[in-house]
Amino acid sequence: MTGARGRILESIRSGLVRAALPSAEHAGVPDAKAGRGGSIEAMVERFGAVLTALSGRVHRAASPEVPALVADIAAAHGVRSFLAWDETELGCPGLLEGLAARGLARVDYRMPTDPDARIRLAQALEPIGLGVTGGHAAIAENGAVVLVSGPGRGRLVSLLPAVHVAIVSERRLRPTLADLVREEPRLLDAGSNVVLVAGPSRTADIEMALSHGVHGPKHVHVVLTA
Amino acid sequence: MPRPSRVQFFATCLVDVFSPSVGLAAVAVLERLGVGVDVVPDQTCCGQPAFNGGFVEEAAAMARHTIDVLSRSPDPVVVPSGSCADMIAGRYPEIFDGDAVYGPKARALAERTYEFCQFLADVLGAGLPAAASGPALAYHASCHGLRGLGLRAQPRAVLRAVAGGRCRDLPDAEVCCGFGGVFAVKMGPLSGAMLESKLDAVEASGADFVVATDLSCLMHIGGGLRRRGSRAAARHIAEVVADAFAEDRRE
Amino acid sequence: MSDAARAFHQRIDAALADRALGDALALTTGRLAGGRAAAMAAFADAEAARDEARRIRAAAIARLDQLLERFEREATARGCRVHWAETAADATRIVTAIAQEARVTLAVKSKSMVSEEIELNAALERSGVRVVETDLGEFVVQIAGDRPSHIITPIIHRSRHDVARLFREKANAAPEDVADIPAMTAFARRTLRAEFLQAGMGISGANVAVAETGTVCLVTNEGNGRLTTTLPRVHVALVGIERIVPSAADLAAVLSLLARSATGQALSVYTSLISGPRRAGAGPGPAKGGEPDGPDDVHVVFVDNGRSRLLGGPLAEILYCIRCGACLNVCPVYQKVGGHAYGGVYPGPVGSVVMPGLLGLEAWSELAQASSLCGACREACPVRIDLPRLLLEVRRQAAAKRLAPRWLRVAMPVYAAVARRPRLYRSAVAAAGLLGRMVAKGGWIRWLPGPLGAWTASRDFPAPATRSFLQQHRLRKEAAR
Repeated sequence: MTGARGRILESIRSGLVRAALPSAEHAGVPDAKAGRGGSIEAMVERFGAVLTALSGRVHRAASPEVPALVADIAAAHGVRSFLAWDETELGCPGLLEGLAARGLARVDYRMPTDPDARIRLAQALEPIGLGVTGGHAAIAENGAVVLVSGPGRGRLVSLLPAVHVAIVSERRLRPTLADLVREEPRLLDAGSNVVLVAGPSRTADIEMALSHGVHGPKHVHVVLTA
Repeated sequence: MPRPSRVQFFATCLVDVFSPSVGLAAVAVLERLGVGVDVVPDQTCCGQPAFNGGFVEEAAAMARHTIDVLSRSPDPVVVPSGSCADMIAGRYPEIFDGDAVYGPKARALAERTYEFCQFLADVLGAGLPAAASGPALAYHASCHGLRGLGLRAQPRAVLRAVAGGRCRDLPDAEVCCGFGGVFAVKMGPLSGAMLESKLDAVEASGADFVVATDLSCLMHIGGGLRRRGSRAAARHIAEVVADAFAEDRRE
Repeated sequence: MSDAARAFHQRIDAALADRALGDALALTTGRLAGGRAAAMAAFADAEAARDEARRIRAAAIARLDQLLERFEREATARGCRVHWAETAADATRIVTAIAQEARVTLAVKSKSMVSEEIELNAALERSGVRVVETDLGEFVVQIAGDRPSHIITPIIHRSRHDVARLFREKANAAPEDVADIPAMTAFARRTLRAEFLQAGMGISGANVAVAETGTVCLVTNEGNGRLTTTLPRVHVALVGIERIVPSAADLAAVLSLLARSATGQALSVYTSLISGPRRAGAGPGPAKGGEPDGPDDVHVVFVDNGRSRLLGGPLAEILYCIRCGACLNVCPVYQKVGGHAYGGVYPGPVGSVVMPGLLGLEAWSELAQASSLCGACREACPVRIDLPRLLLEVRRQAAAKRLAPRWLRVAMPVYAAVARRPRLYRSAVAAAGLLGRMVAKGGWIRWLPGPLGAWTASRDFPAPATRSFLQQHRLRKEAAR
């Protein structure tokens, strides 16, 4: 409907010519408020406090400890199979092996393009109780983990199962999203889907009473590795 | 600005018609503080009701008259109403933006127009007498003064000075009372519902008087208190200050 | 009074009479406004952040055409199809065509105010597509055949008992499914999960679009925004043309205020930044070596529906709005009547400007009369929109079109004529004093006729003074000499 495109743009342009818009200065680059988050320790603490207040869980572990940690989480939720990013994307060498050794079965998947096959696969993945991802970064101010989609980094892993474990290096903590974007101006281009996840899914739609696990995971664990 | 020796007093239409004692109190206070007060006899209404109703021509006509009347003298203008002061100081320059004759006049007038407490606190840095005994008071923050003129501190400072220990906290003091000018009759039930909340707050405060800078709010709240048969009543801050001076004089 | 205005007044009366609604509004707006206040108090440089957000939105609107073109280029380069809809009907036609082309029979939706504005669901249903709202509140609204009453928390007007009853009556819930709020939430999750898994299309709105990368940013707390834009093969995003910023840095600045202003959270639980369909790998076929999941087709529909017309006029500033709902929560009028009273898609202070601005004065200007111009909305707005000034502008336009009630249209010019003539004015004041003495009892009047009766319905009216202030002052001065 190129006619509509042209007419809309023309309508905008003629409006702008007529416009008496209040204060239309150009924004420019925001002031460089250099990372006030301070040290990694300070950010770990802040991140932990914020995510805990959101009913998420934070763990600190060295890489070799992670498989046992994740297996314990799985056991606590009665989970035997899980979705995961590819090993290379998890930032924790040997994790998938470690989980297999503890009797947990990874379900790999790829959504087909055929609509019916797609639906069948989605329904098959639905009952899986745990998803394990890495994390591109974490934001101390709001307890969010930044996940970038890509080969070996499925979105559904952090979305379908009731339990989500994200493994992020504590060196990838940043004070605010603005700091991360300043450092990585092309962040939005890193994947077709970049998502910030700040704790478990929640709603207060009914009488302002808080409930968790509406559509996304009910349990979110972030493992900060050294 | 240096302490002025004389001011013009813009009474406002509501004070003139409904509560002359407010005007007399404000003038008396200013004179006690050593400021001469001129009351220009041909002042009428600042035009705010027309302006708020979207009646531009009518508002501009009343504004031009008010500007003319207050511009014969360069003396500062003191107004016993946050909303009327906001009209003159805030809205007049906007109304006449681009007007070659009234634009400059409006801006000049705006520069030297003050709400009563603003004048006492910011210009005079007034030495006000403290009246330790007397009725319990709760302060309602009239909206246009509060958010238009930024009158957050001055009325409270004035009230604290004259009635410190007698001040009660008014819950939701900064929530609109529901007067809103013509809104009070145009949207009567809504205005009444907002009033109910304010009356509940006044009664909850335990104050004998709810005090404000604007007679408009006080007519509305006072009328509601009366209708409820409440023991509390409404009083303008200028009268509270004048009371303190009277108390002071007696001692 | 026009029929539309009369209907508005009737809705207000009904809302004021509804005690349960009043309690629900007090609870919800209190929590949300309180959350906002606390979050802003705790946010370092909150005022500077608001200034920056305003500058960003103002600068974006001032270059809106360039930003939209840039977005189209970047989104298309990343595999999106970008569509342009001048009117609501065009927008629904476009989405219906996409659904038909993709042979969609079931669409899931995450919350989109624009989709309500264009009445998309009805159009899709008419074309044979079943549409399921997935935001919990919107799901309740949908099965109730109702409308949302707040732009962030749609069922502010419904109790848990209402929801339980609706789930039992309309969604096949068993008694244990509605035993308490967690049970109802779990029931909604199960019911909607089944729909998500089968849907051929996901429809979303967009909180903000980012021009430099053709990105649609979508925030939710529930996760339905993610599921809607991940599971189905086709994703359609409806974007009001004004909801755009140039860069990721600008987006970060807006996001730092959006959730804080809406609910008091530092950030919504899920912030999705969508820049096209899932990316292919190096190998043949769309999926080989590429992303394991995500939509294969992403469509962005830019919706004008009157917004570009607002640009050239005095209401343009309302286009800065980021739809956070803060103005609703602090508005003493909204707090008393809720969203349904306003009668349209957008309630509260922003709605009172947007509805007449987009859909016409005749039907909607009365909304702008339902304000005492207290300014609480301007104080809460993260992009510092001067809402009272815009409401006054709507009133001006209404007065110019003679939409004000007759008594005001008569009274105002008379008042102005008298107020410009001091001698006449003094006579009128003296007459008022005389009249006052005649009708008042103890200085108060209990009944006034005509439109003024609206005052005395709930308050006493003070009697005019026997002698005016100017008179008394003059007498004092004379006596003093």
